Amino acid sequence: MDSKLIKIFHGPQHPGITGNMSVELDLLGETIKYARTHVGYLHRGFEKLVERRTVIQAFTIVCRICVPEPDPNEENFARAVEGLAGIEISERAKYIRVMVQEMSRLAAQMLWMGGQSGSIGMGTVGQWSLFDRDLMLDLFEELTGGRVYHMYTYPGGVRRDLPEGFLLRLSELLDYLEKKLPKYDSIFFDNATFKKRAIGTGVVPKEEALKNGYVGQTLRGCGIRRDLRKDNPYLVYDKLDFDIPVFDGGDVYSRALVRRGEMRESIKILRQVIAQMPAEGAIMQKLPKHRKFTLPKEDIYVATESARGEFGYYMAGDGTEHIRRMQVKGPSLIHGFTLLEKMLIDEELSNVAMIMNSLGICPPEIER
Amino acid sequence: MKNLQKTYEVTQKVERLFEVTVTQTDFWEAVLYISTQTEFNTLSQIACADWIEEEHFLLTYILTTDARDKNLMLKLTLGREYESMPSVMTLFPQAEVMERDLHEMYGIGFEGNETLYDFVLEQWHDLPPLRREFDTLAFVHEHFAFKGGREDNKDVKVEQKRRREEAKKQKALEAAKQEAKKQETEKQETEKPKEPNTHATDAEETQDKKPDTKEAEDGQ
Repeated sequence: MDSKLIKIFHGPQHPGITGNMSVELDLLGETIKYARTHVGYLHRGFEKLVERRTVIQAFTIVCRICVPEPDPNEENFARAVEGLAGIEISERAKYIRVMVQEMSRLAAQMLWMGGQSGSIGMGTVGQWSLFDRDLMLDLFEELTGGRVYHMYTYPGGVRRDLPEGFLLRLSELLDYLEKKLPKYDSIFFDNATFKKRAIGTGVVPKEEALKNGYVGQTLRGCGIRRDLRKDNPYLVYDKLDFDIPVFDGGDVYSRALVRRGEMRESIKILRQVIAQMPAEGAIMQKLPKHRKFTLPKEDIYVATESARGEFGYYMAGDGTEHIRRMQVKGPSLIHGFTLLEKMLIDEELSNVAMIMNSLGICPPEIER
Repeated sequence: MKNLQKTYEVTQKVERLFEVTVTQTDFWEAVLYISTQTEFNTLSQIACADWIEEEHFLLTYILTTDARDKNLMLKLTLGREYESMPSVMTLFPQAEVMERDLHEMYGIGFEGNETLYDFVLEQWHDLPPLRREFDTLAFVHEHFAFKGGREDNKDVKVEQKRRREEAKKQKALEAAKQEAKKQETEKQETEKPKEPNTHATDAEETQDKKPDTKEAEDGQ
């Protein structure tokens, strides 16, 4: 190693790191010359735990794979089990699930806005956005009983029906958010400091984005219109009218603008869900009893578009009530290693937190 | 898709999900062909399932298209005796981290991947933990001490049985106490002198006392 280089660890205990992980950096002055990601600080062995559990027992822990947005995990788990067991869910349950996914996406984008603005010292934005996220969590609490981990989307449908007047309250919150989003533009997205820091930082080359398996805003921030809700639609996304925001820069600012557009699209989707959701219908299919809920000796791959990109689950049954294998691939696996280690080279040390937030790296889904 | 169907037997599993099975020896040729000659040119995930009773791992390379509209599961079986696979890093750079993961969790080697060092686990010298023969409970007992006094520390059934027996004993003890008390009261009742006499004496006494109190009050 060059004697002029200084080695520092960015994390695991660092306000600018996105969870319990660490990035080993070799610095020449303030410029990064080498970066290596280290994980393993919160390995909880979800995939191993699931092998010894029945479907309902496994269901209680899958949401814990990702703290900012547990619902895509529940959705993947439910769809994988349904695919293996041959369960078809009702139209109403599909609409409710889309509603949950979009509420989760909005809450996750609000949380991201707090992290992204905090990483460049703009604390006020985080206070606003986390307050607004809390309003969404209030609705989640009313619907599911839990604020962060919902345990709501279960194979066969959803666990509870909507409380009386829920859609009205959701609609009111959407009105409020629609009025609030322009304020975020003036305080954050159009902010000169943010623009100056974010434009041209953390650039993803467009030519490698598709080939290297990047997902979510990383792709859409390079001008590539890819979204599983449109490309490989699930639930009732093919019946809904929404757009996929795309920006060309490939940098932190483009990814931020993509997210800004997605928040508006989520509101649009939720309004359609409220209007189109069947008023009547089963929310849960009749399922075998807990101990008799067996999965055939088959395997399947399902994927959901989370707020940060494609979340994929491989699941194999073995003819018993246990799941033989459930393998999770979150967007952070590729973004946190293949992309981040390459992207940080020749960046400034002060930009590390901003870039990590922009990629939406979440360690629990790496060491699941 | 047509190229793929001409060369390999393709099965459709569900809508937009296809499956091709190859042997270990044909794998490299297949993955090279599929990634360059068909639309499935990106790797999403490398999944592995341990079929210990059939003595093999089932490796599944999940490939997707540029349009992200279809997925292909390229499957092969691999012996469980720490066998090796050719690395696909040269075709898909993102495979590096996935192979590191599988190497650590199953002990599968990937020839050509030189970064198979620690991933999630640190200085792990035990059996790769996602292999089915890895006994999680035994590992926990060996490496961690349970804190005393916690209920989940004990076998639930044994604890439930103990509680039931304890409750039964407690109930029997209570019943015995009640019985003894009852007998005691009955005994006392039988031993007591006849009631009318007692009342008569009491009444006489109170009558005698009443004038005394009056006198005392007048005196004051």
